[in-house]
Amino acid sequence: MNRRVVVTGAGVVSSLGIGVNEFWSHCLQGRSVVASIPRSWHNYADLRSRIWSPLPGIDSETLRVARAERLQLDPVTIFALGAAREAIKDACFTITPAGERSRNFVLSNADSAQTGVFFGTGLGGAFTFLQNHTHHLLRNPRAVLSEYVEKKAPAESREMLKSVVEQLSHGIRFNPFEVSMVMPNAPAAAVGIKYGLTGPNETFCVACASGTVAVGNAYRAVRDGRVEVAVSGGCEFFGDEHGHIFRSFDVSGTLVRDCDNPETANRPFDEKRSGFLFSQGGAAVLVLEEIEHARRREAAIIAELVGFAESFDAHSMMSLAPGGEQIERMLYAALADAKLKPADVDYVNAHGTGTRNNDEIEAQVIDRVFGKSVPVNSTKSLLGHTIGASGAFEAIVTALTLRDGKTHINRNLETPAHDLNFVRRVKDFDPEIGLSQSFAFGGHNAAVVMRRYTD
Amino acid sequence: MNTNVQQRVVKVISEILNREESEIRLDTSLLNDLQASSLDQMSLFVALEDEFQSTMPPDEVTGLDTVKDIIEFIDRKLEQTIPT
Repeated sequence: MNRRVVVTGAGVVSSLGIGVNEFWSHCLQGRSVVASIPRSWHNYADLRSRIWSPLPGIDSETLRVARAERLQLDPVTIFALGAAREAIKDACFTITPAGERSRNFVLSNADSAQTGVFFGTGLGGAFTFLQNHTHHLLRNPRAVLSEYVEKKAPAESREMLKSVVEQLSHGIRFNPFEVSMVMPNAPAAAVGIKYGLTGPNETFCVACASGTVAVGNAYRAVRDGRVEVAVSGGCEFFGDEHGHIFRSFDVSGTLVRDCDNPETANRPFDEKRSGFLFSQGGAAVLVLEEIEHARRREAAIIAELVGFAESFDAHSMMSLAPGGEQIERMLYAALADAKLKPADVDYVNAHGTGTRNNDEIEAQVIDRVFGKSVPVNSTKSLLGHTIGASGAFEAIVTALTLRDGKTHINRNLETPAHDLNFVRRVKDFDPEIGLSQSFAFGGHNAAVVMRRYTD
Repeated sequence: MNTNVQQRVVKVISEILNREESEIRLDTSLLNDLQASSLDQMSLFVALEDEFQSTMPPDEVTGLDTVKDIIEFIDRKLEQTIPT
């Protein structure tokens, strides 16, 4: 059973804005939010990268997450709930309270058993894990040292010891809900609980390809008749207090190093690229739906999803296989799934991290498969790398590009490292088919193929 | 008994256990009157920690059952200066 699958809603929590309209408007303006990492992180390690893309201050109440929920959810799940709510509303489902005093809802114009949730995340609730771990490790030593500093320490060493105490910072509590906050399936589970969605509820944990794999599997579930509607996307949160997660990417040599000019440091596909811009995270959610189901509801259709494929490099945990053969095979499989040829593709949303290795291999593969004329951009040139959320953000960008006939620039591209048709300015064009691809640590490759929707 | 603490405790219990504030009196029992499960009680003390920015580990709050018990416990906590 091959049914047509359309995107009827989208939602976003990102450094470029809360909400799809703000996000997309800022994308088309070529904006990027880049700032110095928190100064305190330098107390713990000699870091080579010094910048990141932070999220705006987000009050969970604005994402319609009450305190009682916030205290039991990692921020990654709160973002997923915020983006999911926007996407579900954007898809014109009617959100009705599940009970008189309930914090949960039902979608009164959807069959809950025929609605699934498909989410991707790289590290799930790593923030909560680290926050609780520092409390577990540091609370007692810090209390003992604080008392010593106050009551017994010699005057000449007191200031030095006070600065040590300050560095032993930790959260106020060891949260008794840690397990359900940390588990990677928490975002998908929370969305299912919040809207009473009793169809399949799945989590895809494939690092930087998580979002694409989640959207792709949601597409398959709708196409194959497992569900009528799928809430799908990706989420990540990397804002731990001590910069531990930042350090883990920094020490592996993946982050942007040339930080003297933060505005131009993040430059995917440029000769001077030096790594990816670390993002604090975010969430991106798409509502996928069987086309007749959407038409009956008179939902506004953003784009049609027509293909998906995955492959695995079986080469290295942290490096793409030279030559990109498995990426190329995956792309042909995605096109076959969509019953298309490479020449049919009018737009490629690249993985485009800005690392030397990724961009070189990816550009070679794009050239071999699609040629030099297809427009290519990297959404990471604006957002930085949101890891498990990135594929979902890029799927939304691909859908909006097809809907609006325009896309964002590949920011900070001065000297392209490869002769491809990188998007240098926003202009109207006429794309019918778009493809978004992601590659991940471990060796996972995936792509979704979309078609412009016309009645 | 600190009335400010009392008001805030009642508000948090109402918020977390989904009860009207008028249902919550000093002698109200979490277990017998509000039918608060162990998970509810865990949620409640996490929320009270947040409300009063004070640690309330499980071993310290075990046995607190009436609203009055909780208010008196928090009064005592707030009188202490506990490094966190």
